[in-house]
Amino acid sequence: MTDFSWEKPKNLEKPKRSERVKFLTAGVVILVAVLYLLISGTLQGARYFITVEELLQDQTYHGQTLRISGAVDGETIDYDSEKAVIQFEIVNIPSVYEDLATALHEALLDPAAARLRVRVEDAAMPDLLQHEAQAILTGALGADGIFQATELLLKCPSRFEESTGPEGLSKIPEHQ
Amino acid sequence: MLAEVGLASLAIAFALAVYGALASLLGARKHSEGLLCSGRNAALLTLPALLVSTVMLVCALLTEQYQISYVYEVTDPRTPALYRFTALWGSQRGSLLFWSLLMSIFTFAAIGLNWRSERRLMPYAIAAMMATLVFFLGLSLFIENPFERWWLLPDAPLGEQELSSALIPAGAVAPSEAALRAGARGLNPLLRHFGMIIHPPMLYLGFVGFTIPFAFALAALASGELSTGWIKATRRWSLIAWIFLSLGLILGGRWAYDVLGWGGYWGWDPVENAAFLPWLVGTAFIHSVMIQEKRGMLKLWNMLLVIATFSAVMFGTFATRSGVIESVHSFARSEVGFPMLAFWAVITLVALTMLFWRWRRGELNDEHQFANFLSRESLFVLNNVVFIALFIAIFWGSFGLPITSELFFGAEVTIGAETFEFFVVPLFIAMYILMGAAPLSAWGATSLARLGGALRLPLALTGLSVMAFWASGTSLLVAFLGYGVVLFAGYVALYEIYRGAAARRRSLDESWLRATLALFRRNQRRYGGYIVHLGVTVIGIGVIGSSVFQTEVQHTVARGEMIAVQDYTLRYDDFIRAQAVDGRMMNITPVTLFRNGIEITTLRPRIDDYAQMPMTIAGAHSTLENDFYVLLIGGDYERATFRIYINPLVNLVWWGGLVLIIGTAIAVYPKALPAPPRKRERVSG
Repeated sequence: MTDFSWEKPKNLEKPKRSERVKFLTAGVVILVAVLYLLISGTLQGARYFITVEELLQDQTYHGQTLRISGAVDGETIDYDSEKAVIQFEIVNIPSVYEDLATALHEALLDPAAARLRVRVEDAAMPDLLQHEAQAILTGALGADGIFQATELLLKCPSRFEESTGPEGLSKIPEHQ
Repeated sequence: MLAEVGLASLAIAFALAVYGALASLLGARKHSEGLLCSGRNAALLTLPALLVSTVMLVCALLTEQYQISYVYEVTDPRTPALYRFTALWGSQRGSLLFWSLLMSIFTFAAIGLNWRSERRLMPYAIAAMMATLVFFLGLSLFIENPFERWWLLPDAPLGEQELSSALIPAGAVAPSEAALRAGARGLNPLLRHFGMIIHPPMLYLGFVGFTIPFAFALAALASGELSTGWIKATRRWSLIAWIFLSLGLILGGRWAYDVLGWGGYWGWDPVENAAFLPWLVGTAFIHSVMIQEKRGMLKLWNMLLVIATFSAVMFGTFATRSGVIESVHSFARSEVGFPMLAFWAVITLVALTMLFWRWRRGELNDEHQFANFLSRESLFVLNNVVFIALFIAIFWGSFGLPITSELFFGAEVTIGAETFEFFVVPLFIAMYILMGAAPLSAWGATSLARLGGALRLPLALTGLSVMAFWASGTSLLVAFLGYGVVLFAGYVALYEIYRGAAARRRSLDESWLRATLALFRRNQRRYGGYIVHLGVTVIGIGVIGSSVFQTEVQHTVARGEMIAVQDYTLRYDDFIRAQAVDGRMMNITPVTLFRNGIEITTLRPRIDDYAQMPMTIAGAHSTLENDFYVLLIGGDYERATFRIYINPLVNLVWWGGLVLIIGTAIAVYPKALPAPPRKRERVSG
């Protein structure tokens, strides 16, 4: 360990009144500035994180910048590499679920589940954009009924997820 | 056999940790030397037990024991040996065991280094470290056991015949080797990158490392030894943890940059932020601890910071591992979520209660008061305020807002990257300004004229640099402001090293090199700290360059055609379809890169196909000036689409990180081993 110096208290110097006023003023200014930053940033940037069903059912959300989450229907994925535009459909998944992989799988099997067409402009084709991936999108629902997304995040739990069980351990595969 | 030995040694480590915690606490209460030594020895023995357990799991991974369900989930017969080894931390269960092993190594080292010098603190510190270890080993044993094996129950109803269990169920038989090999999943391709090989262990080392200062702080609160001991014992541990956490964050950024293919390295994702939060509080702590050492001030604040750092570590671990937080990085939703949240809440509450108790007894009163607004201690406090404001802003955006909106308004509200930037940019500007001003002020008192005089040269150099930048043709105000404050902090660090060396030259008539080396030797922490500041400056330059001046285009071209971006030209040369030794198919598109018409290099952007999961691997030409980063979006032999990023100065982010690590290593490097005390001290409670 390096050298250590310790100063024993000799007499507690008291700050001058003018210095105390400065400390107090600086403290109040900093507090106000940080609060302003947090409040104004939150008011400007806050977006609801809702499900596809909630978005389609409640018209007050239409046109607002929002975050939505849904299951990607792989058959609907269309990428225009010339214009760098991705279009696909997502299917409603409930906001609370036990296991994401199961929720995504069941959502895509449900013919009555709410569906939404999504369009992402100026985007590279993400590796994880595939059937049964979870898409988390930021954007707004346009008058044409298409969700124009400015941000696309993907989670793909189906294959490399430890919660899914083994398949066919009781059988010996034919090719072995 | 491997699973049995691994499981048994895991259970032994758990028992030793429980005994170590209890014996240390009882020994301290009863003033029993025998119990104290017994508790210490149990804590030391957790290391060999956990080493055996971890070696067993690694052997199982390397020798393809697919009956062990963890091996089955993270490897397959085509996984290369290196990734078999790194699969130890490739998923939840293995990484929890690895976490415990690291905790045990840190405990072993802390006992070895501090047992003699900090006898009053050590029993309580060991109890705190062992309590943490008990918790993590408990998770491994009872919830996420890495030694569970697949069993078949032939007599069970259909659909319930396959079972993963650590113990052998009655009537169970092992599945066939062939079925296990055929079904094994393999490591997630996203984790097959050198950044992912080193990033998790570094992050864990950082997280685990901060347990040691926390344990000593708890020991100080429990024993009432609140003066110098815990600060002395923990400052180096805090710096060691800080190095690893910094390295973990930088490598995580590098992994995202190389693997995720969006040309960036920080996405303000909740899990990334959860790892950044302890770094922010830890950085505040390693600054404010200096005020306690020099001036005997901020005793309560330092305790609060060290508790907050550990609390942030536990919260970060919960956020990453529970799967509760919506993030692209989170593990699968796991049953460890609730126990982790409970452990985090209990340990934070216990620590805060003890702190409150000591504070009420007047045992954490400062020995000096802030006398001058421009004194170094005042500016250090301001620096702490900035770090804590950053912590609050990022915590609020990542967790506070989504959770409170859900609780009170029934709808989750989140913010995006642009709002995080709105929060943090002014605070980072304040941080760089303070990083420049604080080292030039004096302890106790400084006048504005004196501080202004010291600032003259660094400010002049900053002004000249900004003017040179303006003369180069840039007119972006954000860049001027950003580079101004960042360079100012860097010039102050250089100026301080220069001033110190010049003073030695004058008084001792030494050469520049000798004077500079002697300066670093005599005050490692101070001058190592300036190198860290230089590293942060270099990172700042890289972040501003790569975020403000990034260029991004996407074009489709026929083979032989060119794409021009700024003074670069890229020619699409060929399309190759090949198979790698691990079985993945690769679409490779060699391209030639020209700059101002002169050929520079050939890049090979490609898409790898890991059985239904594609991975886009960028081709990059890296220089200090910029990265030419090209992704293959798709195509065939005739035509291909490329997305190109030019990221100016991005490599300074990584080089700055290296400088930061070197600076911290200088600060932490031991001067000499402490001499052992002549007589063994009596232990008193």
